Amino acid sequence: MENVVVSGMGIISALGCGVEETCRALREECSGIGPLRYLQTEHLEIPCAEVKCSDVELQEKLGLFSEEIAPRTVLFGMMALEEAWRSAGLSSSGGVRLAFINGTTVGGMEKSEQYYLDFLKNDIWNTYIASHECGACTEKIADRMGGFSYVTTLSTACSSAANAIILGENLVRAGLTDIAVVGGSECLTKFHLNGFNTLMILDREPCRPFDASRVGLNLGEGAAYVVLERESTARQRGVQPLCRLAGYGNACDAFHQTASSDDGVGATLAMNGALKMSGLQPSEIDYINAHGTGTRNNDVSEGRAIMNVFGERIPWVSSTKAMTGHTTSASGAVEAVISILALRHGFIPANLRFREAMPELTFTPVTHTLENVKVRNVLSNSFGFGGNNSSLIFSALSES
Amino acid sequence: MGIYIKGAGVISIQEPLSEEGVFHPVAYTTPQVRCVEPEFRKFIDPMAARRMSRIVKRAVVSAAVALENSGISMPDAIISGTGLGCVEDTEKFLDAMVRQGEYCLQPTFFIQSTHNTISSQIAIRLKCRGYNNTHVHRGISFESALLDAWLLFAKGQIHSALVGGYDELTPTYFRLLGRLGYWRETVTDSLQIVREPAEGTFAGEGSVCFALSDESTGAWGQLEGVSIAYRCPDFMQAAEHFLTCCGIGWEGVDVVMMGLNGDRRNDAVYRQLQLPDVRKRAVYKPVCGEFFTAPAYGMYAAAVALKNGVLPASLSESGVAVEGIRRILLLNHWDGKDYSFILLSSCGN
Repeated sequence: MENVVVSGMGIISALGCGVEETCRALREECSGIGPLRYLQTEHLEIPCAEVKCSDVELQEKLGLFSEEIAPRTVLFGMMALEEAWRSAGLSSSGGVRLAFINGTTVGGMEKSEQYYLDFLKNDIWNTYIASHECGACTEKIADRMGGFSYVTTLSTACSSAANAIILGENLVRAGLTDIAVVGGSECLTKFHLNGFNTLMILDREPCRPFDASRVGLNLGEGAAYVVLERESTARQRGVQPLCRLAGYGNACDAFHQTASSDDGVGATLAMNGALKMSGLQPSEIDYINAHGTGTRNNDVSEGRAIMNVFGERIPWVSSTKAMTGHTTSASGAVEAVISILALRHGFIPANLRFREAMPELTFTPVTHTLENVKVRNVLSNSFGFGGNNSSLIFSALSES
Repeated sequence: MGIYIKGAGVISIQEPLSEEGVFHPVAYTTPQVRCVEPEFRKFIDPMAARRMSRIVKRAVVSAAVALENSGISMPDAIISGTGLGCVEDTEKFLDAMVRQGEYCLQPTFFIQSTHNTISSQIAIRLKCRGYNNTHVHRGISFESALLDAWLLFAKGQIHSALVGGYDELTPTYFRLLGRLGYWRETVTDSLQIVREPAEGTFAGEGSVCFALSDESTGAWGQLEGVSIAYRCPDFMQAAEHFLTCCGIGWEGVDVVMMGLNGDRRNDAVYRQLQLPDVRKRAVYKPVCGEFFTAPAYGMYAAAVALKNGVLPASLSESGVAVEGIRRILLLNHWDGKDYSFILLSSCGN
């Protein structure tokens, strides 16, 4: 079976703008989590990982000078898409069929929550009624580059972007598109900040995934996309692939709307599904980029699932959410990019602020960047509300 | 590989969980019509139902009815399309947050506000741990979900699936979309709406779930193809290309069912199509109203027509029933940007 490869990628998050900045920040163990600067909320006591740019600054970076500012989800999406597009050498008139699959859940909510009372009374902000839907945001992002003949949007909460990558793989493999640009975009909103807050799963301090004393997550924001195509398509276009997408698993925990099962059954199924498709043995996985939100519930459920799948020989594990925050619908793609960077540059990113092992688990995460390691296969987990669990495996190309 | 429709559960603005609405639809005289709901307690324990939002109750019941008699006890996948998701609970949480501030909010409405609540609640009730996904792309959300299932069937990754389209519209969201010019101010006869073109259409709602299988016993019809396209430069050419990919030409199509809804701008896109004269034309939006996943109702109406071997007068553009139909092409577009194509055939071929 021919390889489906990643031929380009783009990212924006609290760690910076672009793949290079992100890579440097990861290796230097930077944390993007801090006090809120941009989101207008009463909950300024809750730390988050914001992209360190105002909307106006983002518009300037994008060369958009209209008075009307697009939802931040759209601005992030445009930034990341443009970088992915450039790095894969794409063109809107290249004679190849292009698909764009975006994962998002909040869509244009950031504007809706700001102008909701106007929506009810007057016509001033109708443009933001139109941009409220997830699909409308996706189309604005797609139209930034143009040339896409297949555009759709997925929303499975925190695994949205991972599922976009899975759908992209299926489309490319079925030959329905030549190239699929896939990932997700999500900005912080008062809506989901308050939603997570009412569920009492937000840490008032910077989070500590997989630590015995962990009390919750920090929300983040950002966007990331990877470019998928058949290896032969990339070679024909003269583009050097970065790695291959070796497998994926999508399963449903079917347990609870917002909680994960104690034994991590959905997570186990997702990881096993990805392994089976890749044809790899568990022992061949060098690194797991965990979902690792830092909530009591996720980390024990995911940790047990990792033990179910990997038994005695657990690979290096870290959650990079202690650096990027939980970028929700974008996280599957943000962490896909991080996994690919680990693979390409031979390092394991750190799981910051870990001190004490969880009594339920037999393993502990990597606490400081490991440099100069051989990383050939990386498993990346993304689990969403509703038990939407997805796992991806990225592998080095055989000759590289 | 064949993909077959083994069952369907439909709650719409017509009689719920019944084919009656396809053959003898009720006409409405208001620009917003909400679903006619079945007695939920016949299907869901009242205690459990109390915790579910309206759209989730509808979806869960649609899924259960789709599975009944389908021969499928546990689907391999649950894939949903919803343009707007769980609007009612989203609105409740948003409204409380905007009006009462951020310190007295309850989690209940947030928990069920995400679009994937529908797919996951169906999965939780069935204890179905298979592939689970949710598509949220405007007027092609359902077709996008259907294509997702198609890809998995084609790979042999699944042998059965529940695929549905679900949308609810609150009075508030109806008003907001009205500001964008979606709706007419007055409707005299919803069933005649396409014959009286004007600006805007009327709003419906729907919860349409299909049980699909790669096994054909007792099937209503076969799904021969599904495709979506963005900013398609030539709708007609794209439709022809789609048929070619399905291995047929126009001569193989008996009925072309289109997403006409009475809105001048919307309908013009279909009117420009140079369809061969012999094709019978059909509509479904006058029966179900306009909503983001209305094409799911279109596919249901087409499947019912194929199962019964007759295109009912209520769907036929000419107003006359057509006997002996074997293949229906469904065409839809949203806002002139998103296009979709579905091909269904009867199983008796």
